[in-house]
Amino acid sequence: MNERDEALKELLKRATGGPADPELKHDLWPEMLRRLERPPVRIPWWDWALAAALLLCLLLFPETIPAVLYQL
Amino acid sequence: MTGTVEAELEQFTRGDIQAFETLFREYQGKVYAWIVRIVRDPGAAEDLTLETFWRIYRARARFDPRRPFGAWARRIATNLALEHLSRRPAEKPLDDGLARRAAATLTPDSAIGAEVRAKVAAALGELPAKLRAAVTLAMIEETPYAEIADALGISINGVKSRVFRAVRLLRRSLEKRGVCP
Repeated sequence: MNERDEALKELLKRATGGPADPELKHDLWPEMLRRLERPPVRIPWWDWALAAALLLCLLLFPETIPAVLYQL
Repeated sequence: MTGTVEAELEQFTRGDIQAFETLFREYQGKVYAWIVRIVRDPGAAEDLTLETFWRIYRARARFDPRRPFGAWARRIATNLALEHLSRRPAEKPLDDGLARRAAATLTPDSAIGAEVRAKVAAALGELPAKLRAAVTLAMIEETPYAEIADALGISINGVKSRVFRAVRLLRRSLEKRGVCP
């Protein structure tokens, strides 16, 4: 590393406060446990049925696609 | 690697929560320390540490217990930290964002004015995430190149090249802002 790089390094360290404190201040396990225990997001069966019905409808009657898109 | 550690890793891959807790408690400090060196924001580093372990837990079935857990965790942590860095400029303007965080969480040299600190923060914020991480680890954190290479999954020459490019861009950006280091 040349002198100019050293000067830049010094400026970066002084301007940013130098190395970050690597110490973790508290135990993160309780938060991790809460996340693990959170029930997974489930999509109810009627949502799947509705999506399937819509898809079927669009396949059988493609002329309705612009109307559906307009509603979105 | 001892048989006990391997057995514990084996249990973890089968979804044993106690084995995961043991690993979590053993590695959370190391993962956090690595992430905070890249993102330099303790709050974000804690969130990213949790996200790292969440991804580790979800990918447990793919983990080979004969391989070092620490290296795997650090690779995931690095990818998340890089994702965070590449998202951040779009979320918050770094001019005041990084400078404000730096002022709040770290203690910059008081001999350097707030304006110069903001300019340095802005110049760093303009760098692509991969270059920013490389220059932060190499020049601010003074992490050995071999360690950076290992975590980023590139060669030592690759790290040197990223640092070189980052320094060139930083210098140009700082000169444009009237700061000549």
